[in-house]
Amino acid sequence: MSSRHTFIGAVEIGTSKITALVGEFTGREIVIIGCGECPSRGVIKGSVVDYRAATECTQSALELAERDANERISHVYLAQTGGHLEGFYNQATLNVKAADNMIEKDDIRTVCELAKAKDLPVGRMVVHNIRRPFHVDGRLIPTSPENLVGQKLEVGYWTVHGQEQRLADNIHVIRGFNLEVRELVLSSLASGHMVTGMEERQNGVLAIDIGAGTTDFVLYRNGAPHTTGVVAVGGGHFTNDLSLGLRLTQAQADKLKLRFGRALVQARDKAEKVWLDGNYSIGDRQFSRHAIETITSARAWELMEVVKRKLGPAFSPETCAAGVVLTGGAAKMPAIAECAAKVFGTQARLGEAPTWVNDNLRDPGFHTALGILYYGVSAQGERAETARRKGGFLQGITRLFAST
Amino acid sequence: MTKDTIVLPDTRSWRDIPQHVRPRAMSGEGRRRLAMGTVRAVLGVTVVTAVCWVGWEVSAVLREGPGSLSDSAKSERVRNLVLVTDGVLDKTWLARTLAIPANATLMGLDLVQLRSRVLGDAQVASASVSRNFPDTLTVRVSERSPVVRLMAQTGGDPPRMLLVSRDGVAFDGTGFDPAMVDSLPWIEGAPALRQGGSAAPIAGMSAVSDLLASAKLEAEGLYRTWQVISVGRLASDGEIEVRTRDGMRVVFGTDENFLRQIARLDLLIDSTTDPTRPLRQVDLSLGSQVPVAYGTAAPMLSDAPPAVAADPAKRPLIAFPELSNLSN
Repeated sequence: MSSRHTFIGAVEIGTSKITALVGEFTGREIVIIGCGECPSRGVIKGSVVDYRAATECTQSALELAERDANERISHVYLAQTGGHLEGFYNQATLNVKAADNMIEKDDIRTVCELAKAKDLPVGRMVVHNIRRPFHVDGRLIPTSPENLVGQKLEVGYWTVHGQEQRLADNIHVIRGFNLEVRELVLSSLASGHMVTGMEERQNGVLAIDIGAGTTDFVLYRNGAPHTTGVVAVGGGHFTNDLSLGLRLTQAQADKLKLRFGRALVQARDKAEKVWLDGNYSIGDRQFSRHAIETITSARAWELMEVVKRKLGPAFSPETCAAGVVLTGGAAKMPAIAECAAKVFGTQARLGEAPTWVNDNLRDPGFHTALGILYYGVSAQGERAETARRKGGFLQGITRLFAST
Repeated sequence: MTKDTIVLPDTRSWRDIPQHVRPRAMSGEGRRRLAMGTVRAVLGVTVVTAVCWVGWEVSAVLREGPGSLSDSAKSERVRNLVLVTDGVLDKTWLARTLAIPANATLMGLDLVQLRSRVLGDAQVASASVSRNFPDTLTVRVSERSPVVRLMAQTGGDPPRMLLVSRDGVAFDGTGFDPAMVDSLPWIEGAPALRQGGSAAPIAGMSAVSDLLASAKLEAEGLYRTWQVISVGRLASDGEIEVRTRDGMRVVFGTDENFLRQIARLDLLIDSTTDPTRPLRQVDLSLGSQVPVAYGTAAPMLSDAPPAVAADPAKRPLIAFPELSNLSN
């Protein structure tokens, strides 16, 4: 990669807020130098429904980040979420062609293309092709099988695809600011990359990012993403449940959720009351703490159940030794980790950003944006490396002279 | 299963979504960024083009040999001298005045010094010197025209004739037709003053020039008889005295139109019919009253300049003839 410093933006267009980060990529590492946030408008469950409002909010966040960094960016990595995202698994097998059964680059390329090739429904587009480990005659090969000896080479891809119009809407919001979208990164991959360690991913871990409108999850096995998914349920549904159940406005319900909401019922005394405002003002009302906890815990339990159901047989406590890691704004709800542990039957904890992340960015709300930068840079580096390897004789000669 | 046996489906990726957005769909800031990007691109292309062009020009100059180019300009000798003048000076005078060495190069000439040499001749009122590559030196001069002539003597040198222009500057008068020079009247009574290292211009020459021009234009017959112009009383009394070849003295005043005074003189001369009583002195400086003195003989003056100025105390009898028709 070039040693020239480049400035990259990371944008997460969320349901409750839009986050923008500016990173300085030195070719070896990336340093966060700017941050901007703006309350979100025109976005419901991760999808743009009001182009103008969403554009204004996104641009405000980008301007703040650029001003904070004192640098201008030319392209961004964009987080992608929403209920329209779906995934499927496709596997391909190839008989090794060489007489001595040594696997060559051409074999690997062919089996990968076969595994990725599958017709999509009309109006759907691939967002990510996540490769699972190779198998050579049944042996698991976590890295490249090149030069290994075997008769049968297998590989599988978890393909995430989404609706073309919704993907285009998100991209056009960024293009309205005359910025290029260089990489589209699944929110679950971004946040999962930040809150899980390499060892955890190797042992198997489930990362769940509970946002305001959607919940993204990714299951890691053998050090690589195995299954991803999006559930169109988020923190906003907790608020909505309280609003309906206790006959409150959304703002009042949100206030109660933040102050008294729990993912597991703790209050034993059903007569225990809590004040809505607690400042003795006219109109202040009392509510049963037990009722509040019951409503929020039911929704939390249901959310975890939905995630577990969507994972299906891919998840089992035995193959997920590192347990469940929770992140996202709604993961700050008390007892959410205990709730997840009970549902999934394994250990669960709240995700934390790596120690090198600045204190200002350690809030779970920033995990996705941070992950976009790191995941995007590494993905782009891999793509550049692949393109370099694919280069022909002429390009090789050109590089030779360029390097001298 | 091999790749050769199946046809892979064409899977569409999000990268197939066109990222082009019409400027109208962009926000104000987006359009501003687009405009700035366009300006930067245009500037970049302009700078690159300019650098390439300069490089091309430099390489072209280097290919043609810059040393020989400058050497030819420096080593070219002056082969042509061009004189552009509004007078009578010629190339011989120019070559003599400039005194350029035979092997002098055009680039080696000091144009300021050459111009000062040209201006050293008082006949030249203004001059400019310029190089015309490859080998020509062009001198443009504006010359002074003579109005009168005078006899000057410096120290023990023999007296020599000088010409005087309208602005009072005396000069040798190179290249003028001798007949024209002989027709010029002499001037006397002018104080010899020094200004810097040379003679100061003669004061009042503009009035003398106007008088002579009027006479030459309107009464050339009279003008031909004028031999000496005295300006001795010009500064003090505003009078110009003219002496003719037949010994008549005519005094003109500078306060009145010279043309009117010449007309009166012409009338007087025409009205004087008695050859035994020729006009000896006419004073036209008093307006309509013209004192006239008559004489008995008419001694002819030679072409030589007068030795002394006329003495007003020795004026002859003064008479006042009737000139009612010229009173206005």
